[in-house]
Amino acid sequence: MLRASVRTLLERAGGIARARNARENGWDRRVMSQLADAGVLGVAARESVGGLGMGLMAAGVISEEVGRALAPEPVVPAIALAIGMMQRVCPGDTTLAVAITGEIASAFAWQERGPRGYPDQMACRFDGKALNGSKAWVAGAVGADQLLVVAQNNSQPVLVALDADGKGIYSEPRRQSDGSQLCDIDFVDAPAKVLAEGSVVSEALSGVVADATALAAAELVGVSAKALELTLDYVKTREQFGKPIGSFQVIQHRAVDLYVSQQVAEAGVSEALARMHVCTDPRARTREASRAKARACSTAKKITRESIQLHGAVGYADEFDIGLFLNRALVLSAWLGDAAYHRAQWMDAVEAKADD
Amino acid sequence: MTDWNALSDEAFRRQVRTFFETEYPEELRHLPHRAKFAEIRQWHEKLYAKGMVAPAWPVEYGGMGLEASKLLIFYEEQQRWGVTRGRDMGVQMVGPLIIKFGTQAQKHYWLPRILSCEHIWCQGYSEPGSGSDLASLRTSAVIDGDYFVINGQKIWTTMAHDATHIFMLVRTDPRATKKQEGISFVLAEMNQPGIAVRTITTLAGEDEFCEVFFDNARAPCENLIGELNKGWAMAKTLLGFERIFIGAPNLAQNALVQLRTIAQGRYMFNDPVFRDRFAKVALDVEDHAALYTRFADQLKRGETLGPDVSMLKIWVTETFQEITELMIEAAGPDGGMIGPLQVGNVGIDVLANFYKARPTTIYGGTNEIQRNILSKAVLGLPE
Repeated sequence: MLRASVRTLLERAGGIARARNARENGWDRRVMSQLADAGVLGVAARESVGGLGMGLMAAGVISEEVGRALAPEPVVPAIALAIGMMQRVCPGDTTLAVAITGEIASAFAWQERGPRGYPDQMACRFDGKALNGSKAWVAGAVGADQLLVVAQNNSQPVLVALDADGKGIYSEPRRQSDGSQLCDIDFVDAPAKVLAEGSVVSEALSGVVADATALAAAELVGVSAKALELTLDYVKTREQFGKPIGSFQVIQHRAVDLYVSQQVAEAGVSEALARMHVCTDPRARTREASRAKARACSTAKKITRESIQLHGAVGYADEFDIGLFLNRALVLSAWLGDAAYHRAQWMDAVEAKADD
Repeated sequence: MTDWNALSDEAFRRQVRTFFETEYPEELRHLPHRAKFAEIRQWHEKLYAKGMVAPAWPVEYGGMGLEASKLLIFYEEQQRWGVTRGRDMGVQMVGPLIIKFGTQAQKHYWLPRILSCEHIWCQGYSEPGSGSDLASLRTSAVIDGDYFVINGQKIWTTMAHDATHIFMLVRTDPRATKKQEGISFVLAEMNQPGIAVRTITTLAGEDEFCEVFFDNARAPCENLIGELNKGWAMAKTLLGFERIFIGAPNLAQNALVQLRTIAQGRYMFNDPVFRDRFAKVALDVEDHAALYTRFADQLKRGETLGPDVSMLKIWVTETFQEITELMIEAAGPDGGMIGPLQVGNVGIDVLANFYKARPTTIYGGTNEIQRNILSKAVLGLPE
């Protein structure tokens, strides 16, 4: 039901062709509004705050559909990060209500650059009025109305909100392989208002990052599902030596391997989401999120790479759609940690569990 | 007679678990080889007394009559405790065929003897020239009065040297136009002058498989199950429920536990390269189990499994092999040692695991044959 309506909505909006268009024009505010009207942005939020209260598994279904359609809208960052964070730390704030209805688009910034990627300490400082410091890899910031930023205030974590076009904000968009942009943002005495502070912010942060990680995994599952469908159609119709290339056993066995990988990924990711759906232990949720992302990244990269090979020379041509899937898989894999990163996280979590 | 299906799934699981844990002999847990009947006779007698020899058979034939969910639980508990399958070819293979296609007289004669293990069965399918292409089999059975006269050779016959009877596919009409036609399903007694058995020593050093030679061996015509020349289609119906078990997670799960033990004992988890490879196979096992659950749920809902169930076998057997290869790496310079390696206070037989993993991608239809099945029947790729 939910799956079918999101699929139809995204097809009517223009389908995969929009992924190409987004390179020039970014994501589409109107489509994001339509998704909000369909309840998508509030799918996991409680009904008391204007959401559908359907939880993480339903959000996973939506994320898969976003992946299948290569929709350029920052749906997972909105559901899991911006809205997920506000629901946890400031459920009564009007900022949350207008985010769920899609009137105000918020981008969530928490990561910072360190010498090896993520630093141990957050350097971004809030002094009660203004924000100073830098954030990195902010998804959905181009086109957003508002920034939600995690910072430190006297060694207490704090969540603040800023108008995206307010003063003291210097944003550098960086283009990724699928045409989307992540922003590095510098804040210099940028006026901001507090939404929440204290340990509730840091606890919520690890929760929403786990959610976003698992939903990015679901989006990847959608990307690889559709890439595999297109590739199977292609090998059934493309003829060489007088027969469809899908009649050759070497192609058949490779196609089967991709299919089996995809089935394992669908089962693994959906089980991880189901476990997170009913689990409140933060460590167990983070562990399942890592399991999901590790599986989804390795599967999507394998399927999209092999899809290029099975398409032959046209697979390398930009005008063929299959390459769009590879590019999206690269971006989603890099975001929030790739397969190797999450295997390491998962191992640590499993060992910590064994020590309990 | 216990009405097992009247229990809740959880109550049934507890009963089965308690029975295994209290009654199953400790020294037979997780046997690394296929047991001969003499080794496990006492265990069989306990099962027999409880009416638990044939979990899947209908109650009227002496089985437990378990519904699908309880059948899965039974096998899960059996695997969890490392309980031997026993000499189950009779119960698993020939019994269900007799129940489905046999005459009243055949059921009356054969089924009780399968349950009591008065008859121990082996399966005569593969031949030297007919492995993956099983339908090309050539061992012939010619009717001579009241008897079939059988000539030819079977191979990879598991435990034929410890069997009293063989059920086999034989060619009864060599002139049939398609190779799948003209094949019949016949039962024969092993102890007769026309049958000779030679064991085949495996890479693991075990005598598990045999060659069986037929030189004018005889079987009474009443040993034909089902119709003459229709044995192929009949034998294929067996491959329904059983196909999920060949893809069950337990082999890989057990190996993973052993890999973890040996890796801990040898401080391998300090090595980031090893950690990554361990995490990869561990997640391969975990996500396979999630997929297995989906198929098991289909069975529990009373649905029939489609050809897509083949994917379970492909994934789990290849993962099992990868795990045993990692065990050898973790063993370092001891990787070539025969027998158990002492790790802390447990012994782990690295090579036995490695060898045990090899035939899993070959038996029950090689993984290449499984890929052919998926390609045609599931993905619809062209001929």
